[in-house]
Amino acid sequence: MTLINPGRIGRAVLGTGDYWKGFHELLFYSLRRLGALGKPPVRLVFFKQIYFTGIEALGAVTVIAALSGIVITTQITSLVGQNIALTAKIMLWTVVRELGPLLSAIVIIARSSSATASELASMKIRGEIDHLRFMGIAPGDYLMVPRIAGITLSVVAVTFYFQMTAIVMGYAFAAFMGFMPFVKSITGVISTLSMTEVLVSLLKAFVFGLVISITSCYYGLRASGTVTAIPRAATGAVMRNLLTIFLLDGIITYAFFV
Amino acid sequence: MIRFDHVTKGPVRNLSFDLDRGGTAKILFNSEDRKNLLFGMLAGLQRPETGKILFFGEDLFAHGENERLALFRRIGVVPAHGGLISNLKAWENLLLPAWYHRGLTAEQAERPVAEIFDQLGPGEAGLKQRMGELPGQLSLYERRVVALARAMLMEPDILIYDFTFAGLDRDAVQQLMKLTGEFHGRKAGRVSLYLCPDDAVSARLVVDSTITLTQ
Repeated sequence: MTLINPGRIGRAVLGTGDYWKGFHELLFYSLRRLGALGKPPVRLVFFKQIYFTGIEALGAVTVIAALSGIVITTQITSLVGQNIALTAKIMLWTVVRELGPLLSAIVIIARSSSATASELASMKIRGEIDHLRFMGIAPGDYLMVPRIAGITLSVVAVTFYFQMTAIVMGYAFAAFMGFMPFVKSITGVISTLSMTEVLVSLLKAFVFGLVISITSCYYGLRASGTVTAIPRAATGAVMRNLLTIFLLDGIITYAFFV
Repeated sequence: MIRFDHVTKGPVRNLSFDLDRGGTAKILFNSEDRKNLLFGMLAGLQRPETGKILFFGEDLFAHGENERLALFRRIGVVPAHGGLISNLKAWENLLLPAWYHRGLTAEQAERPVAEIFDQLGPGEAGLKQRMGELPGQLSLYERRVVALARAMLMEPDILIYDFTFAGLDRDAVQQLMKLTGEFHGRKAGRVSLYLCPDDAVSARLVVDSTITLTQ
């Protein structure tokens, strides 16, 4: 038995190749057909997606963001003491540049990616995609475009909300514990914050949103055969999303901040 | 309007028929597999090995996806199990194609849908109450009625009924046959094609021509 199995490596490489090919096809299709959002039934799916991915996720995001903010400010103040300027800088590096986009993406992958992939997979297996065609409705326009737009927009909004909550709650906790004054700390963050920082973090959130939504649709729509394809689609989408998000996070951070 | 020109695929061999404007026909099957195969070809899902299937004089398989979708806007399909979208309520399913293509709102659709339900008789009052349910909570008959109303709202030129009367009780079959017959006559030139099992219920269906695919 060899440790390196060429067959397995080959399958993984082919699978990744298929994924990227499918990803680009779905991306260009969605961009080309964005106008489908003008149709009221498509818009309804879009709003439902925003409600499910964005609004319904706010509870979990609030808790995670508040706890992250508290942990980070506690760690920073234990390291650098009551240095408001340095605390603000470290807070921005960790929350705005990294944790905000990453943790928001992870929450949305856990909630919406698996749900979208399994929903589309079950629709495909039940033949509902074909039934849309019988009605003269392009399945891509009705199912994919609003989901991709809705999830992407939600990831951007949820990331911004995460960042704000983490910073405010972190400093509120620090003020409550008597580590540093709240208003001064927040003012320190605002004065340290640069436009590049904000734009890059939103760019990250936008790219993550696109990846999460397209990958979920890709895994859902390629499902075929039996019901076991449904959990396989959900797991495949979640794993692929996690890997891609971490890879892209590294690439974007390297491109803008190194 | 519908033409099968020497179509062959699997057990369906060299099938030819022509259904002109205003015509009605039923195709009788003794095998559901064979029906599914023919339905797949009619729906553009399965390409025949040889021969052509033409709707409105256009080869169904000569065009790309967009042209085929445009063709299906003029064709109503009533699948055997309703073909409803599982995450939409019955009412949303019923309205979907008319809302999507014609911008018909729920308020505008209320009257024509009520008329369709009224034609099914006073016993269908309960069906109106169940329009807020998801397809999984509806009976087979209710799903077919929703699919039928959904197709009818589009005022199609061609209607394809896939085993619409199969597995229902006598009264339900009677009502649906009456409804589809009346709907056929409401638009000049409309074509109705029924895919039916070769049984006593289907024998009651009165059409212009009958094709038997039982060999």
